Amino acid sequence: MSALGVVGGVVQPVLIVAGSPLLVGLMRQVRARLEGRAGAGAGQPWRDLRKLLRKERIAPRGTSEVFRFAPLVLVATTLVVAVVVPFIATESALDPVADLFAVVALLALGAVALALAGLDTGTAFGGMGASREMTILALVEPTLLVAIFALSVRVGSTNLGAIVSSTLHDPARVISPASLLAAVALIVVIVAETGRIPVDNPSTHLELTMVHEAMVLEYAGPDLALVELASAMRLSVFLGLLANLFAPWGIATEATPLAVLIGVLALVVKVGVLGGLLAAAEVFVAKLRLFRVPELLAGSFLLALLAVAASFFLV
Amino acid sequence: MEPLYLACGALLLTAVLVLWRRELSVIIRVFALQGAALAVLVGVLAAQENSAELWAVAAGVLVLRAGVLPYLLRRALAGAGEAQRETRPLVNVSASLLAAAVLTLLAYAVSQPLVELAPSAATQAIPVGVTVVLIGFFVLVTRRRALSQLVGFLLMDNGITAVGFLTTTGVGLVVELGVSLDVLLAVLVLQVLTTRMRETFGGTDLDELRELRD
Amino acid sequence: MNLSATGMAAAVAVGLVTALLAVIRARTAVIGAGTALTGAAAVFAGAAALAGGSFSLVLPGVLPLSGVALTLDPLGGLFVAVTGGVAVATGIYAVSYADTPDLRARGVQVALPVFVVAMVLVPAAANVATLLVCWELMALASLVLVVAEHRRGPQVASAGRWYAVMTHLGFMSVLIGLMVFVAHAPDDSFTALREAGRHLSPAVAGVVFVAALAGFGSKAGIVPLHAWLPRAHPEAPSHVSALMSAAMVNLGVYGLVRVGVDLLGGGAAWWWLLVLALGALSAVYGILQAAMSSDLKRLLGQSTTENMGLVLIGVGAAGLFASFGDHTLAALALTAALLHVVGHAAFKTLLFLAAGSVLHATGSRDLDALGGLRPVMPVTTAAFGLGALAASALPPGTAFVSEWLLLQALIHGLPAGGVTAAIAMPVAVAAVALTAGLAVATFVKAFGVGFLARPRSDAASNAHESPFTMLAGMGVAAVVCVVLALWPAGILPAVQAAAGGVAVSGDVTLRLDQATGALSPLLLTLGLVAAVIVVAGVVRAVVARRVRREARLWDCGGGPMSARMEYTATSFAEPLQRVFDDVVQPELDVDVSHHQESRYLVQAVEYRRKMPDRIERRLYRPVLSVITAWGEAGRVLAPGSVHRYLGYGFYAVCGVLILLAVTR
Repeated sequence: MSALGVVGGVVQPVLIVAGSPLLVGLMRQVRARLEGRAGAGAGQPWRDLRKLLRKERIAPRGTSEVFRFAPLVLVATTLVVAVVVPFIATESALDPVADLFAVVALLALGAVALALAGLDTGTAFGGMGASREMTILALVEPTLLVAIFALSVRVGSTNLGAIVSSTLHDPARVISPASLLAAVALIVVIVAETGRIPVDNPSTHLELTMVHEAMVLEYAGPDLALVELASAMRLSVFLGLLANLFAPWGIATEATPLAVLIGVLALVVKVGVLGGLLAAAEVFVAKLRLFRVPELLAGSFLLALLAVAASFFLV
Repeated sequence: MEPLYLACGALLLTAVLVLWRRELSVIIRVFALQGAALAVLVGVLAAQENSAELWAVAAGVLVLRAGVLPYLLRRALAGAGEAQRETRPLVNVSASLLAAAVLTLLAYAVSQPLVELAPSAATQAIPVGVTVVLIGFFVLVTRRRALSQLVGFLLMDNGITAVGFLTTTGVGLVVELGVSLDVLLAVLVLQVLTTRMRETFGGTDLDELRELRD
Repeated sequence: MNLSATGMAAAVAVGLVTALLAVIRARTAVIGAGTALTGAAAVFAGAAALAGGSFSLVLPGVLPLSGVALTLDPLGGLFVAVTGGVAVATGIYAVSYADTPDLRARGVQVALPVFVVAMVLVPAAANVATLLVCWELMALASLVLVVAEHRRGPQVASAGRWYAVMTHLGFMSVLIGLMVFVAHAPDDSFTALREAGRHLSPAVAGVVFVAALAGFGSKAGIVPLHAWLPRAHPEAPSHVSALMSAAMVNLGVYGLVRVGVDLLGGGAAWWWLLVLALGALSAVYGILQAAMSSDLKRLLGQSTTENMGLVLIGVGAAGLFASFGDHTLAALALTAALLHVVGHAAFKTLLFLAAGSVLHATGSRDLDALGGLRPVMPVTTAAFGLGALAASALPPGTAFVSEWLLLQALIHGLPAGGVTAAIAMPVAVAAVALTAGLAVATFVKAFGVGFLARPRSDAASNAHESPFTMLAGMGVAAVVCVVLALWPAGILPAVQAAAGGVAVSGDVTLRLDQATGALSPLLLTLGLVAAVIVVAGVVRAVVARRVRREARLWDCGGGPMSARMEYTATSFAEPLQRVFDDVVQPELDVDVSHHQESRYLVQAVEYRRKMPDRIERRLYRPVLSVITAWGEAGRVLAPGSVHRYLGYGFYAVCGVLILLAVTR
């Protein structure tokens, strides 16, 4: 464990926890402005969280520990990912965990915890949300793993640190067909995994359309605050991952204060830009019907497979 | 070599999009993009060879495949009336995309001997051309609307042209000219045919043609 | 006499003595304990063999022709140890579980230790005759156990028939393959075969391999020879299901590795591509069927097909890499496959025993009628939850480590084998990924619907926790699951000894030897636990009011929600069923009945869904109908006259004699 890794392991989670509600606020603001509304300001999610944390804790009748622990597990998985993934420094605090497969599986574990909580409530909404979420998760998995395959072929490793450093040393690789196709596939995956339009609408509460919101319908007060924080963190983590897999420039390679500061700024800018673009794109896209989502995922799977093929044949 | 591969990637991506989208107007736009990508491909080869003849071919490809053909298709679409979407293809879209994945792998497998004949950066990209041909054929087989079948046919032609340029770096101006005129003629004939069909039967769902047999 | 020989001798002796003790009255306790002891001795023998203490034993007089020959090398040792481990947990469990009138019958009780002894002897067999005799003994003993509860209904007998027919067809396939092989060798000992395998012509070797693949594959429940598995596993008593699903199916993999890799010495690339393709098909098809299933034990049985498919992907990849000449990578793939065998044995034992506990307490294995078991059966719920986590390839779980290794092998295999690998590897990765994703959905369904929320039937609300020995049996399996998940490096040397090559090293962190790649399940879990503690601490510090107030569920203002409004297993799987509509082709039947007064008022909606196995329908139906047609045609020959039947025999004897007289 190097000094750089330790610095990254301490700064990154703090940055992600503090910054991710701001990212969500920024995205809502962009959306509001594009739709001609004034918007509530980027700080609104933080104000919401503060309000929720002050409220009373609720245990809906008939729910068990699974319901109570799920938000903790959800936040914890995202927090571990925030610690180990090279976001601002190329070295990881826990290198043996900074594996793409492990990170992806950790994030899936959080989703599973929430789905079980949804089922645990015993309401139709909870079951519906859990069922839809698991369906999407199951279909996203092939795309995700094949896209990872495409990324790791050129490096010969699924270690995140290795992938990021290799891209840093050889920037030309980013504009290869394999890399571009993998990027498009990953963007679709990230949209699906973080429950954004067109797969899921984070601001809907209509039973026909909601996925994530249906699962968390019974949460209130501090538990809801944790769930909201975790979904904001998941979004930042996924966008940060995307940014650093394809454009790792600015990331700190040595443990000097200046390098770390640049790393932090670069991450903030990259994730902010990606979030802004995502929010802007959402304005122009309608939510897909649930049974059209497999088409989207089949398409992104095809792109991921093409990326693998291209990485092998077009060298 | 990157620009060449990027053009190939665009070729592939547009072929996939034709399979993916249902809106016929979008399919035509994507087809126009593919024509442009093909022109870029030829242009890159022209820049490498530094041959004026190839530059001319590139310009010709651009005009014909990104300009004239999409224009003709759009006119056919405007006349088509209500049938603006490929609503129910014979193979559903998700399955088509997975089939395209299989076709890609097949194309890579079968074109390896070709690549090994003369390994160079250009021949490395032959599988892309073969994939486009196969996807075009697949569109031709599984789509119901005459117009999307036409696009499938043109996709095949784009693929064949791409393979031709990638293997020999230039089929020669005359050959390319001839092929292009052939394609143009085919499109015109088919367009006349579909118009007649629509006037007679009121639709261009080719499944309904089965009744003509009796 | 070395340690592994002592262990084997003890296992066989204890097992047979236990079987003899079935005459006494308190037999369930004795048989259960004896089976557990047999298992313990087998674990000891296997561990000793893995540590390097192999032995050979030849008893020429015991069997006619070639005699009994036993030997225990690391590969066999691993399977002996796994079988033994499963037997320990199931033996303890059986003490109270098998204490029902049906299961107390002497024949059934005798069969349990005999089954375990036969399974322990199969990987130790050192010639074809011994292997086949033990294989057959295993099949017969398990058949007796499968039909033990035949009074429950005709479906048990039907499952038994399917199992008997399929297992014997598989046996014949193995027999034919090995006979062809032996015909090209001086005798039927494995040493002789190993020597002969090097000089076999490719055609003969191919025939031997395909026959062995069909035979052993049917035992492993590989698609399309899986038809018996989702029938026999749910209908067998649960401890027997655990033994079959966690130990017996492994022996199919053992047979394949023994014959394909060891005796035939590798072979052509197409063999292993076939294995890889069958593995991928089984994995995806098995888990897809499981995802649609609402029968808890059937779901687990179908998940066995899935896991064996994953193992075969590993074995196939290993064979493929070896045929390309990359032996380190081959060792990595085989290590992943064998580690998955061990992990699958642990979590499948746990899951089947927990399912048995549910069956014991509620009398139902229909997920749509379960639910709400957590308050009344906390230990069983925890056990099933742990098993489900282990089975769904999520981080602090057993299957996660082996699937990670498998994916690493597949990813690094891309540059190894040219175009073949370039096409096979992405497809295999996609198959593994889809399997993993669907497994997550399946086990969320099994655990969430079966154990959480509110009970959906009276049986589920009146459930009670199982007796101590059953919980202890589950406990053994659970401890093994946890150890395997957190410290896989502990058994990695043993697995690599069995795989015959070292590709992974490390104690806390697993490191790939050939490529950069590392994973530490222990650090990952510790990190996760630390994060949970930190988050919980911060929340406690920040939150103003700590006591939770109980509140009503959101019921849309329509009054308290009843259990009928809950999502069931069927409704949970509905989106997946729609997505994979073309693949599974369910038979749906929706009946809407209206009130007499108005067509607009719906009285009742009846929804029926049948999920017939499509491969089975396409493949087995035609064969069965041909056989039935033959049978119908043959009825002419059987008019019911005894004289006629005796006459057939007489004519046949005379006919043969005449033929002999003429041809000589």
